[in-house]
Amino acid sequence: MDFPHLHLLLNHSPIIGTMVGAGLFLTSLVVRTEDVRLSSLIVFIAVALLAIPTFITGVGAQEKIVADPGISNDLIQRHEGAAELAIWFMEVTGALAVVALWQCARRVPPAPWNTLAILVFSLLTVVLMARTGNTGGEIRHSEIRSAEENTAPYAALAYFEPSPAKFTRLMIVNKWWWAFMMDMHFFGLVLLIGTIGMLNLRVLGFAKQVPIAALNKLVPWGLAGFGMNVTTGLLAFIGMPTFYTHDLAFVLKIAAILLAAAAMVVFYLSGAFRDCEALGAGKDAPLRAKLIAGTSLVLWFAVIVLGRYIQPLQDSIAR
Amino acid sequence: MAVPLFLNALEQTGFSTWLRESESVFGFYFILVVHTIGLALVVGPNAAIDLRLLGLAPEIPLPPLKNWFNLMWLVGPNAAIDLRLLGLAPDIPLPPLKNWFNLMWLGLAINAVSGVFLVLAYPSKAFTNPDFYLKLTLIGFAIWNLQRIKRQVFDLTQGEDAMLAKGRMLAVWSLLLWAGVITAGRLLAYTCSYLVYGVPC
Repeated sequence: MDFPHLHLLLNHSPIIGTMVGAGLFLTSLVVRTEDVRLSSLIVFIAVALLAIPTFITGVGAQEKIVADPGISNDLIQRHEGAAELAIWFMEVTGALAVVALWQCARRVPPAPWNTLAILVFSLLTVVLMARTGNTGGEIRHSEIRSAEENTAPYAALAYFEPSPAKFTRLMIVNKWWWAFMMDMHFFGLVLLIGTIGMLNLRVLGFAKQVPIAALNKLVPWGLAGFGMNVTTGLLAFIGMPTFYTHDLAFVLKIAAILLAAAAMVVFYLSGAFRDCEALGAGKDAPLRAKLIAGTSLVLWFAVIVLGRYIQPLQDSIAR
Repeated sequence: MAVPLFLNALEQTGFSTWLRESESVFGFYFILVVHTIGLALVVGPNAAIDLRLLGLAPEIPLPPLKNWFNLMWLVGPNAAIDLRLLGLAPDIPLPPLKNWFNLMWLGLAINAVSGVFLVLAYPSKAFTNPDFYLKLTLIGFAIWNLQRIKRQVFDLTQGEDAMLAKGRMLAVWSLLLWAGVITAGRLLAYTCSYLVYGVPC
């Protein structure tokens, strides 16, 4: 398993996933079915998470093929630029879906602003992801390259796409900007551990006098911290893509983040949270909830540990 | 500015050299990992208390949070007195948040020890950097502020409204100070003049 394999394995999910999610979301607006709406939100969140490793494995895939005959680095750069635009729309769509799912769990009716925002961002993501997929396909498949590329809609999209080299330079040209991003990355870490970590500990049985539902009210701050860290993390990756790509600690960290996020999704959607939501002071949570909470806690701390080992493990994956 | 010679002597000691150069899994980066975990344990629960004091999640009962503070003073300058006051005071009921509070204390202790090790690995780097002194000062103020939260909010018998009224400003300061500690800590990597004695960063 190497980066090209991983990239090919993952890279259809953001394209097809956003189409499926947007289709479900549109359906729910027409037929007004809550289950369909929830399904679409879960699809958006899953795809927004999967888009992260898809994005990251692209650099390693590029390095493997860039010297091959018939491969144009210009086409790869165009694909990378398209991805660097699409990923932000994807992540915003995922974040909006988290907000909608949270409101739904609190039995708050969907906010009109949120519904409208999901509609706009998911449809834009469908377009941008399709463009990313198409430019990616053209790297290998000369049969799908065509003169259409020069038509107005394509030119308009290309206008908004960053140049990967310029984006990278922008991130690292000023060391204070880099320091600021890393600082924000630590603030996000604190918010995550202070809220989601504390909730996990309560479920495990620490400090039982605090009711679970009360503590759960702080979790949106932890999710905000996660959002801060996805943003600053992606920007840092864009700043030093080859550095991170050849780092085992970084690859494992991304895997641990996806697993930790999955543990959280399972906690809220499997009914484990519902089982212990009503537990007041002094009440013990059921075993299933404890298992998930324990897994989540171990994974978040693994993320911190692996993040710290990125620097010493640089070049631990052969170039 | 001349760098004091003792920093060079310190750097040449076996332990300092080992910390810097060891390939062991328990070398420099392991200690950095431990320091970061300690950070999460200290500042994480602190942030949760501050958010609660600022009026978020009003369902979380305030009094149990008091126990997050008690053991914290083990690492403070009044460690000995506080050990007596707290560690072996059976008339204080041990409230359920004790375990969380233990975590916070553990975090501070971890960071005091791992912090000393990190400085021992690169003493010239730390002591020639004004940002290092800023960080220590901010830690001092942050702990002092936490003590004020404990004394003025949690120690007095008073209703929740009074607790919140007194706690709000202190919570803001707490967030600002701990954010300052983290920021100053992060900036250590970008503001140093010397990596080791005589070697510029």
